[in-house]
Amino acid sequence: MLELTDVEVRYGAIRAVRGISLKAEKGELVALLGANGAGKTSTLMCIAGALKAAAGTIRLDGRDVTSATPEAMVRNGVATVTETRDVFPDLTVAENLTLGSYIRRSDRAGVAEDREKMFALFPRLAERYGQPAGTLSGGEQQMLVIARAILSRPRILLLDEPSLGLAPVIVDQIFEMIGVLKRSGLTIVLVEQNAAKALAVADRAYVMRLGRIAASGSAAEIGATTDLGALYLGG
Amino acid sequence: MTRHLLTAAILGGFVILLVACAEMLGIRVFDRIATNLCISLILVLGLQVFMGNSGILSFAHIGFMGVGAYTSAVLTIPLQMKGMALPELYLVFKGVQLSPYLAIPIAGLVAAAVAAALSYPLMRLSDAAAVITSFALLVVLHTVMTNWSNVTNGPRTLFGVPRATDLTLAAGVAIAALLGALAFKESRTGRLLRASRDDEVAAGALGLHIPHLRWRAFVLAALFAGIGGALWGHFITSFSPNAFYLRETFVILGMLVIGGANTVTGAVVGTFIVTGAFEGLRSLEGSLNSAKIFSEQVIGLTEVVLALAMIAVLILRPGGLFPSREIGAIIVRALSKRERST
Amino acid sequence: MTFALQFTIDVLSLGGAYALMALGLVIVYGILKLVNFAYGELIMVTGYTLFLMGGSGLPWLVMAAVAVAMAVVTGVLTDYIAFRPVRAKSITAVLITSFAFSTLLQNAALLFISPRPRNVPLPALFSQTVEIAGVITPVRNLVTIAAAVVLLAVFAWAMRRTVLGIAMRAAATNFTMARMLGIPANLIISSAFAISGLLAGVVGILWIGRIGSVVPGIGSEPLLVAFIATVIGGMRSLEGAVLGGFLLALIDTSLNYLLSQELLKFRDAFTFGLVILILLWRPEGLLKGPATGQRT
Ligand SMILES: Nc1ncnc2c1ncn2[C@@H]1O[C@H](COP(=O)(O)OP(=O)(O)OP(=O)(O)O)[C@@H](O)[C@H]1O
Ligand SMILES: [Mg+2]
Repeated sequence: MLELTDVEVRYGAIRAVRGISLKAEKGELVALLGANGAGKTSTLMCIAGALKAAAGTIRLDGRDVTSATPEAMVRNGVATVTETRDVFPDLTVAENLTLGSYIRRSDRAGVAEDREKMFALFPRLAERYGQPAGTLSGGEQQMLVIARAILSRPRILLLDEPSLGLAPVIVDQIFEMIGVLKRSGLTIVLVEQNAAKALAVADRAYVMRLGRIAASGSAAEIGATTDLGALYLGG
Repeated sequence: MTRHLLTAAILGGFVILLVACAEMLGIRVFDRIATNLCISLILVLGLQVFMGNSGILSFAHIGFMGVGAYTSAVLTIPLQMKGMALPELYLVFKGVQLSPYLAIPIAGLVAAAVAAALSYPLMRLSDAAAVITSFALLVVLHTVMTNWSNVTNGPRTLFGVPRATDLTLAAGVAIAALLGALAFKESRTGRLLRASRDDEVAAGALGLHIPHLRWRAFVLAALFAGIGGALWGHFITSFSPNAFYLRETFVILGMLVIGGANTVTGAVVGTFIVTGAFEGLRSLEGSLNSAKIFSEQVIGLTEVVLALAMIAVLILRPGGLFPSREIGAIIVRALSKRERST
Repeated sequence: MTFALQFTIDVLSLGGAYALMALGLVIVYGILKLVNFAYGELIMVTGYTLFLMGGSGLPWLVMAAVAVAMAVVTGVLTDYIAFRPVRAKSITAVLITSFAFSTLLQNAALLFISPRPRNVPLPALFSQTVEIAGVITPVRNLVTIAAAVVLLAVFAWAMRRTVLGIAMRAAATNFTMARMLGIPANLIISSAFAISGLLAGVVGILWIGRIGSVVPGIGSEPLLVAFIATVIGGMRSLEGAVLGGFLLALIDTSLNYLLSQELLKFRDAFTFGLVILILLWRPEGLLKGPATGQRT
């Protein structure tokens, strides 16, 4: 349902992504792996519409969405959880969640129901309901941004390093939750440093190196054939 | 090197051509226009030195023009007129009467010194904070000029400034300013500053002390502004603080933006075009007024047109007419291209 | 006692007007990082609209509403015509555009209306005075206080309780993230300009109510006031802008009582010198705005 063809991303003279092609089918969980600076975040932000593609095309269900704005991408059913964990720090948890369901604001009943589901999934958020999001712990913020993204009822979820800087227990929780989301039929593109964990939940994986796809295949294949240590050290 | 010399020769040639035309025509009005143009050119070049190299918008520039104008006026108003022109003047200055040709460079230095003293800490700021502080600085300078009646005669017009500026002098100084702006642009400071403009983070990482570089440009710009202001004072011979405020800022900024702030060529071309257009529109305003087509005086037309032109340029060609290359570089490139193709 | 009351009324009425001016400037700055020099001209537009409707015979409140609406429309149009096309290019380009647009509107008024002051219709209320506990004060001061209280309360409510308000607060801290939740950039920006215009319109009527007439340069002083109040209040904080407005009014009013006539002339130099010092010390303004830093 999501298909990138020869996509390039530039920051001025820097070519962060140098022509990559990848695909995610409906209900699939695709992992995007690679060393620091390989261009994973740039790729995700480009899909989300927050960065312009310098070349190539992005298709969603066959429709060209290469130059769509971020807000249009959300309406197209793509939700993004950024690497920088962008909660709105002065807004309360509740207000952050309200904005998550911005595009569905006419569907009050549905939103309320989804909100309850999120609170069931992340009870901590229910406890911190009226608190400014900036005062949450790192793990709680991560839960908040994931819950916020899901409240738009996306068809595709882009997750950028959800385990970054979190304690192992929390990381396990987050991956468990990713499993739940996958089983609910959501298509997910997951960027991760923690390759082993990512490959354990993924169907397929792509390995990026210096802005290009260096390897791709089923999660099992990639796990077996690629030296994961070298992947992260080698750049 | 050839391209820099070529740039200097072509732009200097413009100014010389202007003087030659004015001399040949021998019309008083044209002489006045050409002199004003040269003075504007000095001011625009000063603004280019700071804005073009640092990439920061400065509103304070015209304030230093005022500092220069008043300094030179105080130093040169004839002794017998001082009592009338500046009744509250401090005693120390009462007996001072310098030659304007000495006072003009002093005025430039005073403006530069004031800028040097006031601006160093400001150079750390970028973005909105930099703009608001420079704007605040303009307001402060203006308020001081308007109220420090001991040396400015307050908000009232100061008259009795001896006439000393003629076209040759203004053109000579303009050419010197032109060379100065080009030399600064290619100097080590200028190059580093432009590198910092394009990438502040990287330049900082190289260990460059950006505020210091900016400060040098700012002081040089104020020197130009001070000299320009003094020349203007000795040309117009009477003025009030309102001459050094938002309207003048707008005009000078407009010239630079339309021509292209990043290049000296842009500064020169912008000054010529805007001065030309202004004079055309002003005479149109004049004839409309004398024809009494409208019941009220027609004023503001020139500013309206300049503002529209500025906005149009910013939308259509945000870098101005000469956004990145000097005229010399453009010609050298064009020539070498042609050579290669033949 | 009467002096204290007099002083309080002075500070509150001046501060109310200043706070509204500052808020109108900050709402746009917070979202676009744009210092809108053309803000003062929205006040001018309000004044001239009121003047042009002078002979219409409509009830005054209707004329005032139309004048405020004109400020709103002008604010939104300025964005469409001038800022939107240059926004992507550079912040300096947008700043210069706003400065040029300010000059454009002022000179258009000079050209098409007149350089001379034009009287605007005002209800008799604006020139009456009342006595409160021995203090005689113009009714318009009380009107200003009331208007400021009502507007600030409505504004605070809207920013906390409506989805658009929450979205605007979010966009002020992280515009891209807000867009990545589906909040349309243009809606947020147009709303910011509309609110800015609304505040300028109301302030315009109150401000012109003090003077009774309108000239092309009427917006300059409110613009400068808004600058200072904003800088005092922290350039990215809405609460700060309001507080900055009242603080500036307190400073101004006190200086009026304290400074000798001789020094009073330099008041602007003092306040703007203060602005420079504050910005040097804290480039984001005196009071802290919303945090942009993220916890990880
Ligand atoms: N805003 C930017 N300006 C300039 N260069 C950038 C910018 N953002 C990223 N880059 C560069 O683009 C390249 C790819 O960056 P990107 O963030 O996409 O990598 P990544 O694979 O997500 O790395 P990480 O694993 O560290 O998150 C890097 O070389 C980076 O330095
Ligand atoms: Mg990344």
